Amino acid sequence: MEDKVIEVNFGPQHPSTHGVLRIKVKLDGEIIMDAYPVIGYLHRNAEKLSEMGAYPKALIYIDRLDYVASLNNELGYVLSAEKLMDAQVPERAQWIRMMLVELNRIASHLVWLGTHGLDMGMLTPYFYCWRERERILRIFDEITGSRLLYNYFAIGGVYSDITPKAIDMIKEFLADFGSKLEEIQAIFAKNYIYVKRTRDVGKLSLEDALSYGVTGPLLRASGKKWDLRKNQPYLYYDQVNFDIPVRQEGDVYARFQVRIEEMRQSIKIAQQVLSKIPEGEYYNKKFSKPMLVRLKGTGDSYVPTESPKGEYGVYLIGDGSTIPYRVRIRSPSFANLSALPIMLKGYKIADLTATVSSLDPVFGEVDR
Amino acid sequence: MIPVESESTSKEGTKIVYVSKENLFAYMKERKDEGYDILLMVTGIDYKDHLEVVYHLLSTANGNRLIVKTKTDGEVDSMVPLWAGANWHERETWDLVGIKFKGHPNLKRILLAEGWVGHPLRKDYPLDKKQYVNLKENGEDYVSYDPREGY
Repeated sequence: MEDKVIEVNFGPQHPSTHGVLRIKVKLDGEIIMDAYPVIGYLHRNAEKLSEMGAYPKALIYIDRLDYVASLNNELGYVLSAEKLMDAQVPERAQWIRMMLVELNRIASHLVWLGTHGLDMGMLTPYFYCWRERERILRIFDEITGSRLLYNYFAIGGVYSDITPKAIDMIKEFLADFGSKLEEIQAIFAKNYIYVKRTRDVGKLSLEDALSYGVTGPLLRASGKKWDLRKNQPYLYYDQVNFDIPVRQEGDVYARFQVRIEEMRQSIKIAQQVLSKIPEGEYYNKKFSKPMLVRLKGTGDSYVPTESPKGEYGVYLIGDGSTIPYRVRIRSPSFANLSALPIMLKGYKIADLTATVSSLDPVFGEVDR
Repeated sequence: MIPVESESTSKEGTKIVYVSKENLFAYMKERKDEGYDILLMVTGIDYKDHLEVVYHLLSTANGNRLIVKTKTDGEVDSMVPLWAGANWHERETWDLVGIKFKGHPNLKRILLAEGWVGHPLRKDYPLDKKQYVNLKENGEDYVSYDPREGY
């Protein structure tokens, strides 16, 4: 038989595609010669929909972008909108936001860890990850009233105050999640097959990462110490103590290590925030509910935030009316996924699932 | 130094510069050499009488940010030779806003189906006309206004 390059379709419906991703892969035997991701199956044009209603109405579409980290998405939007309207936000609201965003980061990383394990053929850690995530969702249910899509952050504050019961739940969760995380990490890191399948796989050099606009845990796993919470602090991140995990290898295992360490740092941040939440108002009275739909914005603003996937922000342009003129969502997964072909080239087809899942793509955010 | 047309500041304090369409590529190349290593996003805006392309730049060395805007009638130079990440962002801008990028290696629609009529983020896009997508025999997409033709 002669050598022949064949083209294989991976997806759009496949158990390990993390949503509806289709990859056209060119194969020479088992080696990937080229890969061409095809996206857009979940496209709803959230940007156009957001341009059709008042400023707070866009939040329900923003929620549905990265649906495993909704609060992180809302944060980027409300920060930009507040800058656009020169709104003041009470301190208590900012601290509440900070704590919930860190909890949501842990939840998002847990979803990633569980499904990443599934892709590698490990069924066990999936259940442990989901058990821990369930506790976070119950906390969110207590505070916001819903489990997945919250619509909780409002322009000028948050929609409701946190209850003492919720604070007890958070304390209980933070007290023993660290040891649970240790167990989950051991299932991966002490598994010879997992380590073998992820070391030196899906490598991304720092130059390529920067050129493709890759941010977040992927950039940090490629050796760049860059975290917006530290480098360009928003909210009150400059008042808490935490480290930025960095790895030099740039492979799938390094991304795993970075994300695990990030969860530890999130626990650390949340514990500090818990002791620092001041008493006071949880929203700005000027932005009470009947006023929300009458908010007007002028100029343009873009406040970058560090979402679990990377740099996330909403670029808003206001023309002085109650409806945003242009909404542009900078979604980290979109840029990260565009670097996929260079991570796949030269590796075997069996490494494809490991590499794709190590990007942590969420297709609500890629396709918008 | 490539001249800029005007300067201003955005609400959160980032510098905005307006560059003419002819000088855009040279200006961006200068910025790239200056240390702006990440192109965060490319945005197209329809101002009804003209189109505008907006580039958000970030330098990870010192944390500087810069917003570059240019007015156009529908075509600007592609930034793919400078930042590989511009590829998908420019395809998206072509897909949704309808701005062409000269020198782009593969300027095809990315989010919508190939063959889609119109660019949804234009202000004059007809929202009441529904389009239905289906597959041809050879695997290519085609778009029709007839609901019986697709999904």
